[in-house]
Amino acid sequence: MPGRLTVHRPTPTTASFTVSNAPRRSNPTAKVLFAFGILLRVLSFICVIAVAITRARHHFFEEGSFSTIAWEDVWSSAAGRYACQLVDSYNPSVLAIAGTLILYGVFRRGHTEESLLVIRGFGIQTSTSSSTYLSTAATRFIPTTQIQDIVIHEAFKGFEVRFYLAVIVEGEPGVLVVFPQLLPGREVLEEVWRGSRRCLYDTKS
Amino acid sequence: MPYNIAMVSDFFFPQSGGIESHIYQLSSKLIDRGHKVIIITHAYKGRTGVRYLTNGLKIYHVPFFVIYRETTFPTVFSFFPIFRNIVIREQIEIVHGHASLSSFCGEAILHARTMGLRTVFTDHSLFGFADAASILTNKLLKFTLSDVDHAICVSHTCKENTVLRASLDPLMVSVIPNAVVAENFRPLSNDSRAADQGAMSPVDQRPQPAPIGPDDTITIVVISRLFYNKGTDLLIAAIPRILALNPNTRFIIAGSGPKAIDLEQMLERNVLQDKVEMLGSVRHEEVRDVMVRGHIYLHPSLTEAFGTVIVEAASCGLYVVCTRVGGIPEVLPQHMTTFAKPEEDDLVVATSKAIAALRSNKVRTDRFHDQVKMMYSWRDVAERTERVYKGITGDISPEEFYGSYPGQGWEVSGDRVRSFALIDRLKRYYGCGVWAGKLFCFCVVIDFLIYVFLEMWFPRANIDIARSWPRKPPADKSHSSNGGRRDQ
Repeated sequence: MPGRLTVHRPTPTTASFTVSNAPRRSNPTAKVLFAFGILLRVLSFICVIAVAITRARHHFFEEGSFSTIAWEDVWSSAAGRYACQLVDSYNPSVLAIAGTLILYGVFRRGHTEESLLVIRGFGIQTSTSSSTYLSTAATRFIPTTQIQDIVIHEAFKGFEVRFYLAVIVEGEPGVLVVFPQLLPGREVLEEVWRGSRRCLYDTKS
Repeated sequence: MPYNIAMVSDFFFPQSGGIESHIYQLSSKLIDRGHKVIIITHAYKGRTGVRYLTNGLKIYHVPFFVIYRETTFPTVFSFFPIFRNIVIREQIEIVHGHASLSSFCGEAILHARTMGLRTVFTDHSLFGFADAASILTNKLLKFTLSDVDHAICVSHTCKENTVLRASLDPLMVSVIPNAVVAENFRPLSNDSRAADQGAMSPVDQRPQPAPIGPDDTITIVVISRLFYNKGTDLLIAAIPRILALNPNTRFIIAGSGPKAIDLEQMLERNVLQDKVEMLGSVRHEEVRDVMVRGHIYLHPSLTEAFGTVIVEAASCGLYVVCTRVGGIPEVLPQHMTTFAKPEEDDLVVATSKAIAALRSNKVRTDRFHDQVKMMYSWRDVAERTERVYKGITGDISPEEFYGSYPGQGWEVSGDRVRSFALIDRLKRYYGCGVWAGKLFCFCVVIDFLIYVFLEMWFPRANIDIARSWPRKPPADKSHSSNGGRRDQ
């Protein structure tokens, strides 16, 4: 899915360009589906935790530990007994693998978001969102004194020739590619290039 | 009408040579005439990706596997996806391949025809017919050229050779020779600033160079790669005899190659080190400085499609002694050259004759530069190539392009204007041979299927169109009409 560009320009000397391939969610159906998706993730997370607790009940969740909950009552109730029976009937390694997969699905970010933040007299910061919700985005800051230029160039990638926006950093052998994962099209890149150069170098605004 | 042209060849800078500089000079002159030209070649060491040269000439160094002497591995289909991407993003209309040994060129022509583009092929070399390698090369050439829209050869000998090898219709092959940048090959007498004035002042006012006396030293220059096909063995045999027959002669030999050792052994055996100077390999921009040190240029090559170097030598004001092989006799007029048969005795006789002619001051070598400048220019080559482009795209009618011969029993048939229909293409490939024809048809069908698959998998709409370098205004019409008539 091609990336969409959003530009924030709070002051003339600051600009933030964000490219994201997240779906747009403008109509009610999409919003309902999105809410349903969140609900599904929460439910699956609770399920995995519950299965894990049931599995480990003999080691941690017995009388004495976590005494705020009466574990004896939980395990002896009808639902508790059914859960114990169900969990014990499966191989523990199967449960572990399935649980890991479901947890990965729960925390996986379905889209990529990459951004470029430009502040005049200060520098630029690029960031690429991580693949899960658990870790933070990978960012890189380059002070103005180290920026030699910002350019658009072409390169071979797979079976294609793609445009990319690159920052030439002083004292580094390679260039820093902005939006390295999404690699948006030429028109988006040209807009970002113009905007960031205006923000960095244009003295009129 | 300006075209978007892609030049495809395995051979391009940073490697240097005749084909490379041909592509570069032709491309930059076509850009001057208002066309858009890109070059597709494979990646060289330290040179990959997309690059620009002066004049906005864009070069795609496609990362590819190189097997032998900078030729890529012939994989027939693997080049297609990236080639299609480049062609679409640059909006190419004409694909122009160079050099028959380049697998890139052959593949590009096949894919371009599948994509419905016009193709031109330029052949730069001569090949034999007899040995196994030639037979294989000729079959490959036949495969490449069965479906090409037009072919260009650098000399009439080369045209004859190509027509026979690829069983082409001779009217579909044009002859457009190479050229030289005459400004880079000035004789010593009108160096640097003098040359600029010399262009304006009449020729006769220039002081005549000092005549060569009977006892002055005459220097013979040889610049060639020292390979068997360049006639180095002939040279090794001839040098001692030439020096024995003609006192006060010296040799300067520039170039390197596998035969350099034989040459050095000959020098030591005959103790000729003080009369023969070996320079090793020289870069192309230094060639002129070596040439102007001599009076005679000796070119003992055994096979040559065109021989740009002898034009360069004549442009430097050297009298040329060369073997009568390949396209060489077409290159220079009689008064600049002495021809020899490609054998030892005749080469010695011809060189001695040339030395005698120089000593008797019969040859006006000082006029060679201006004459060569009149004969060869890249602008002329570009104009004639442009006419080929016009012919194949239908901007000039087939009758005008191929010539009209009413009442000769044959007509300018529709087959010369090649249709893109798959069945017509298959018919042309099927005639290539009993087994080869079927194999080629198979390849073409696969290629077509790959094309359909690529159109589905990587739709055109998703490919960014690259911005073009600002075009120059197209050249005026008067040049193109008088320059293009000679290429049949």
